[in-house]
Amino acid sequence: MDTHAAYKSRWLPWVLLLPSFVVLLLFLYYPTFETFWLSLFRVAFLGLSKTFVGLENYKELFTNPDYLQIFKNTVIFAFFVVIFSMATGLALSVLANQKVSGWRIYRLLLIWPYALSPAVAGVIFLFMFNPQSGIVNYLLTISLGIAPDWLTNPKLAMALLVFVAVWKNVGYNVVFYIAGLQNLPGEVLEAALIDGATPWQRFWRVTFPLLSPMTFFLLIINTIYAFFEAFPFVDLLTKGGPSNATNILIFNIYRDGFEYYKTGMAAAQSVILFIAVVFLTIMQFRFGEGRVHYGG
Amino acid sequence: MKRLAIAVGLSALIGFAFAAEKVHVTFWHAFGGGRTAFIQRAVEDFNYTHPGIEVKVEYKGSYRDTLNAAILAAKQGNAPHIVQIFEVGSQLAIDSGIFVPIQDYVPAGLEFQLDDYIKPVANYYRIGGKFNSIPWNSSNPILYYNKDIFKKAGLDPNNPPKTYGEVVKACEKIIASKAAPKCITWPLHSWFVEQWVAEQGALLANNENGRAARATDVYINSEAMKRIMKWWKGLYDKGFYAYTGKPEDWDGANQLFVSQQAAMEITSTSDVTFMQNASFENGFELGTGFLPVPDGVERNGTVVGGASLWLTKGHPQKEQEAALTFLLWFTNTENMVRWHKGTGYFPVLNTSVKVLEWQNWFERNPAYRAAFDQLLQSKANRATQGALIGPFPEIRTIIENMVQQIFQGKDIAKALAEADAKADKALKNYNASVKK
Repeated sequence: MDTHAAYKSRWLPWVLLLPSFVVLLLFLYYPTFETFWLSLFRVAFLGLSKTFVGLENYKELFTNPDYLQIFKNTVIFAFFVVIFSMATGLALSVLANQKVSGWRIYRLLLIWPYALSPAVAGVIFLFMFNPQSGIVNYLLTISLGIAPDWLTNPKLAMALLVFVAVWKNVGYNVVFYIAGLQNLPGEVLEAALIDGATPWQRFWRVTFPLLSPMTFFLLIINTIYAFFEAFPFVDLLTKGGPSNATNILIFNIYRDGFEYYKTGMAAAQSVILFIAVVFLTIMQFRFGEGRVHYGG
Repeated sequence: MKRLAIAVGLSALIGFAFAAEKVHVTFWHAFGGGRTAFIQRAVEDFNYTHPGIEVKVEYKGSYRDTLNAAILAAKQGNAPHIVQIFEVGSQLAIDSGIFVPIQDYVPAGLEFQLDDYIKPVANYYRIGGKFNSIPWNSSNPILYYNKDIFKKAGLDPNNPPKTYGEVVKACEKIIASKAAPKCITWPLHSWFVEQWVAEQGALLANNENGRAARATDVYINSEAMKRIMKWWKGLYDKGFYAYTGKPEDWDGANQLFVSQQAAMEITSTSDVTFMQNASFENGFELGTGFLPVPDGVERNGTVVGGASLWLTKGHPQKEQEAALTFLLWFTNTENMVRWHKGTGYFPVLNTSVKVLEWQNWFERNPAYRAAFDQLLQSKANRATQGALIGPFPEIRTIIENMVQQIFQGKDIAKALAEADAKADKALKNYNASVKK
């Protein structure tokens, strides 16, 4: 009995897999392993000097109030970014999915922010929200007579950061939700319409459950986005300030690693971030998948 | 046919021999924009006048990026010959062990250039009695002010405030007369705090600012610091002080001042050229003055800010000599004059100052005069020599976070004590990782 009927030699499949393995090993597994290993050292000058310290770095992470604050910020930031960017994405897609005149333009405009580079978006928002000379406060002053210090107030700074991150990613969610909406089976919606369901009911009872595979996919993608891709906004808008209020893990990893030369600490934080995202993804698969409705 | 082949071969060989004789030197710096072009042109001049040497210059991003890139390249045995490093990276550069103390390698005939540096600059960069690097771009913080707004507020446009109290008084008038929406701005940057500590003759670290021996204690919880924070917080609370909210936002502060939202700005002397152009474009008259100091404190002087040029270890002697030749040429009298005129950075050689004076440069450009006088009037002591602290970049963030906490209402004494403890811990961790 030859189970490898398709291949003449039993080594051939391995040989064919080799290029992928090499790439994975070099660019994925080796750096991951190296990060885990580095997190056990006190490293200076980007690796010119190394001392083994065991779990010292982790102890520091979980006892130092500054790091605990960073973890807290990260959770708050990720939570709101995921919720708002998905909810806004869904709402806008439903609106843009209607056959109104000019729908092509609406859809195109909704995707634009996603096409903009995060660095450019960050700089533009910095100008817009400049408390003294930005356009936002100019408009607020002449309309409402207020001029908030957007980046000086910890809560406002965090809110602004969430807003920018959401604004940037909404386009991505819109693309996928519109695609999902277009592929919904028309009969089910028609049946609901004939049965006299209100638009509200039609959305929550029919459309939303049918979209659940897309929602589930976007949930994972948005989580990863919130944890890993917010760096440019923090770096350009707040630099983690005011006094650490918007310092999130991905920014602090860069800062510890490349500005303060604490490579070991940066590695330990990378490990924590890695574990957190893996854990969240597994949880989403375990608890989310049961509720996802794949039939069409 | 054969002869031709031999001739071609020979000439190729000769060409090769000539090409091989050229010594290649790489030079990494952190100046983007117009300054990149400025440096490139100087390097081209050098290559043209020194046919045996080919200097290749590269812009490597920010100060930090440049230092990172140099350390990584050195780790791979591929270091550039010359690297520009910011002043607070000096201790870190020495500890990294990838550089040579430059003074030991300066050829006998050219040592005079090291004696030519103006005192404040020599004081900063002479570490343990000798130059570890060649001083290059040097600056100080000064006060820039808008003379038109001063006139509108009924203030003397030729008499900028010199002390903390005078700043507050001027601000009261400016805001009350609605001459400008905000009174004063400067980037929320630890650099200014360090300068004000030095102006009061106080130290930032033990062991004489880390100059007598390695620093082991950072002095954030000091009387000098308290005075600075009290004044700054007062300005902030009264709405006199403006900043964008983002720490270390140099461009943001410049924007506030240039767009006439604020009547005064404290920032680096390296912006003199920029400010002159910007005030002209925006139609206001620019004034410059000394950095305001706390009342009742004798003005002690400022610390030189900026960067210097370091020579890396482990190159063949020929290359090292070529790199030094370039370094000394690049920072010689004529080039320093050019550099000063092109950028506003100080002419750091006594001879280049003489050339500028002979050209009546300072009379024709009074804005540069204030900047330069302040530097020359600085007293030479440990305070103005500046602190040597390994993890300086991290300590700067600790100080900046502290300032923002104070703005948000945290008790000054408590904020200072906490920041002090954090800085000491960062220093302890750093010192533990330095292997000697």
